Amino acid sequence: MSKEAPLSIAEREFILEALRQDSRLDGRTPDQFRPLKISFGDEYGHVNLELGNTSIIVRISAEVTKPRDERPFDGLFNINLELSAMGSPAWENGRPNDVESYVTHVLDSVIRHSNALDTESLCILKGVSCWSIRADVHVVAYDGNLTDAACIAVMTGLQHFRRPDAVVRDGQVVVYGVEERVPVALNITHKPLSVTFFAFNESKNIIVDATLKEEQASEGELVIGINNGGEMCFMNKFSGATINAREIVTRTSVALEKVKDLNAQIDRAMQADLALRAKRGMAEESRAENDR
Amino acid sequence: MASPLVLLPGDEVPSRHLPSNKSNPLKLGPGLRLLSQPSSTSQNAQSQHVLTATQAGIVTTDAKRNTVSLLSFPNRRYIPTVNDLIIAQIHHSSVDYFHCMVTPHTAHALLGQLSFEGASKKTRPMLRQGDLVYARVLSIGLGAGAEVELTCVNPATGKSEPGGLGPLNGGMVFDVSTGMAARLLRASSSSSEQNESIDGLVVLSELGKKLESLGGFEIAVGRNGKVWIDCSNAGESAVKATIAIGRCLQTVDEKGLGPADQKKFVTRILREMKLVS
Amino acid sequence: MSEEAKLSHTLVVSDLSAKQRMWGPRSTKNRESFFHDAAGPYASPSSLRTTSKTDTRSPSRQSNSGQRKPTTWLSFPLEFSFSTTMVGPTASLSNLSRADGSASFKCPTTGYKILGSVNAPVELPGRRDALKPEEATVEVFIKPGNTTAGVGERYAEGIIRTMLQKLILGRERGFPRRGVVITLAIVGGGAIARGDSYLTLLPSLLHTSLLALLSGAVPMSMTYSAALMAVSKSNVIVSNPTLVEAKAASSLHVLAFSSKGHLLLNESQGRFDFDTWKTVQQRAHALCRGVELPEVDGDIAMEAQGDSGTAEGFVRETVEDHLCRDYAWKINTE
Repeated sequence: MSKEAPLSIAEREFILEALRQDSRLDGRTPDQFRPLKISFGDEYGHVNLELGNTSIIVRISAEVTKPRDERPFDGLFNINLELSAMGSPAWENGRPNDVESYVTHVLDSVIRHSNALDTESLCILKGVSCWSIRADVHVVAYDGNLTDAACIAVMTGLQHFRRPDAVVRDGQVVVYGVEERVPVALNITHKPLSVTFFAFNESKNIIVDATLKEEQASEGELVIGINNGGEMCFMNKFSGATINAREIVTRTSVALEKVKDLNAQIDRAMQADLALRAKRGMAEESRAENDR
Repeated sequence: MASPLVLLPGDEVPSRHLPSNKSNPLKLGPGLRLLSQPSSTSQNAQSQHVLTATQAGIVTTDAKRNTVSLLSFPNRRYIPTVNDLIIAQIHHSSVDYFHCMVTPHTAHALLGQLSFEGASKKTRPMLRQGDLVYARVLSIGLGAGAEVELTCVNPATGKSEPGGLGPLNGGMVFDVSTGMAARLLRASSSSSEQNESIDGLVVLSELGKKLESLGGFEIAVGRNGKVWIDCSNAGESAVKATIAIGRCLQTVDEKGLGPADQKKFVTRILREMKLVS
Repeated sequence: MSEEAKLSHTLVVSDLSAKQRMWGPRSTKNRESFFHDAAGPYASPSSLRTTSKTDTRSPSRQSNSGQRKPTTWLSFPLEFSFSTTMVGPTASLSNLSRADGSASFKCPTTGYKILGSVNAPVELPGRRDALKPEEATVEVFIKPGNTTAGVGERYAEGIIRTMLQKLILGRERGFPRRGVVITLAIVGGGAIARGDSYLTLLPSLLHTSLLALLSGAVPMSMTYSAALMAVSKSNVIVSNPTLVEAKAASSLHVLAFSSKGHLLLNESQGRFDFDTWKTVQQRAHALCRGVELPEVDGDIAMEAQGDSGTAEGFVRETVEDHLCRDYAWKINTE
């Protein structure tokens, strides 16, 4: 159960042959993402994301903790990904697998290590208290390209999340309830996303946003983490067939274009949701609070 | 079927819904079971029999064949049943058997090395891992953990009946829901020259008509939610035609398109793929 | 505190019709009867009874949360408006593409939203010893929304697994020696803090599991429904309590009844006597199944409830709706 069912020979050969003719099973072009659907839950930082049939829920939460001794000025930020049998019957509940550690590694590299969330802004009182931000990624349906989808979902969640306001008064940390003070958005320094390329037919055909079947038929992959400004924060080629250097350069510009487009889609979804929230007004807002 | 009768597990099938044909024994489809209840009210020593559902589904009856069955959720997992046609994937082979995958993450089914038309020790097909076969469920075994056995030949006649059983070469397999697979099987097995929709499906006949000029296509439907399509007659546009058929079937399945929408969608996809003008 | 509560309560009641006032909570007993016939969140939002029920409930909620500042009374009209527009639970089926069966369920009073998936029958590798040769093994896994799973989840998993094992027909064709893997993710609502009761989540988890099992066509002998009940410190029984009410309660109870009337599950927590439990059981039964029960105190006239108002009716309607949509091609053509 720990592995996805292997492709049949017919499927593999057909996918390769189709790509040679620049065709994909769902009619997309090689550089086209599947339709992206982003919606938000009742709480801030609750994102439902669908990329084709891959479906992810991200929930961001915050709590006050003590900062680490060696970094008294920094808050904490963790991305938590645990794959369950819900996403794919190939994943066993409660048993970590390769996909999990791989995706976690990419998410950490692209979002956490690139300091997309400014952890210094999470400090409340030096060495005493800080915010700990936690992003929980729930993969509810897996049909390929988990890394890119998870990246989009986490970045959307971070931008959407509002933490309670906290101040230091007379050496005491006061955390205001959401009804007392308008909650605060997180300090996002830049918006990196990952774009994963899959290579086929001796790297002659390279595509983005592969479905599960395409991933299984692929010969190699290349992950590029890049932000809107074209600054690359992550690049890795974990395994598979060679891709020549010139190809990688052109793929980087494809990745930049994709990231700009995806970020624009995130912005649109965010604006629509914030407008909706504003429209629902204060009465509804406090209603939701009572509810909770 | 104006107002369908939906049963949940534990519900009894009302006797007025049972076919009244008394000459044949009543046959039960999946999702139903016969329970005998010791009657407490009547003085009869004879126990009463009640039909109860074990799954949620819509009750359907066939008066001609005197059957009653339950239409359950179409996206459920396939469970092998004797005589079902399925598309299996070879996982590995041993001395006597090919071990085949019928649904992912379940035990392998066995397919005898000689269970092919005209197969002998010398002429049996050499199937590799990942090859596909169109097979029939021969037996599901008795008792717990019994193995499912498949065959590509009718043991009585030694022929591959119905036609087409055996290895599937080339082509492409698309996944659909088990409910859709059952509908497609009925639609493709009934006389094909009908213009009417069978089980609300016109997608196959529509595709057949539109792709006739390209040489048509071959299709094999497995009850386990797999559809194999081969358009090798279409020459250069074989790949595109196959993709178009696959997309049509999957979209009709996912979106539950009605007959009119199916026709529209087929036209749209074929135009998009530049297969017809 | 209680003085204030009473005051504002009478204020509200005076706005209502004479009939409503007559029903006002003069005594605990009366109040109980009141909750009894209002079906909690399952009641239709327009019914007068629901309105009045929440009116009477508000003061008790107030007295329960003694630490609240008096100024909270300003928000009373809001609570009021919320209560009148209160909606029943919402659910959808077969919403995940990879799982064999799936369902989502949202409980309006606790705010929890659960997503459930079922994979069955599947192979459970590496656990050959643990598998029973004759029947299916049921596995339940609960994934909290924004924390790491802990003892609370393991505890609830055990309860759900034990209960489902009795209902799933693990000897049906294809199931012996295979697994029925149920995964429940808490995707909406707050996290359960350390020390808080897990019982508030249990009915939602049970309903999600049932709907997911049904959508995966896992054979079962019968269905079930569950209810959360709270007994407040003043011995008032609250059906489908909110989280605030549950936290302040002196005892919490989760009861599940099979579609044939068996008591399948009885998890209680806190201090209570047997008579209270008996009443709680009656209320829960009415809430789940809407069946008339023998009178409790002699002065309570039960009202038979429509099937649609009960938890059981809700499950049935959800399944019917979905099946009719899935088989629209068949229903419309014949």
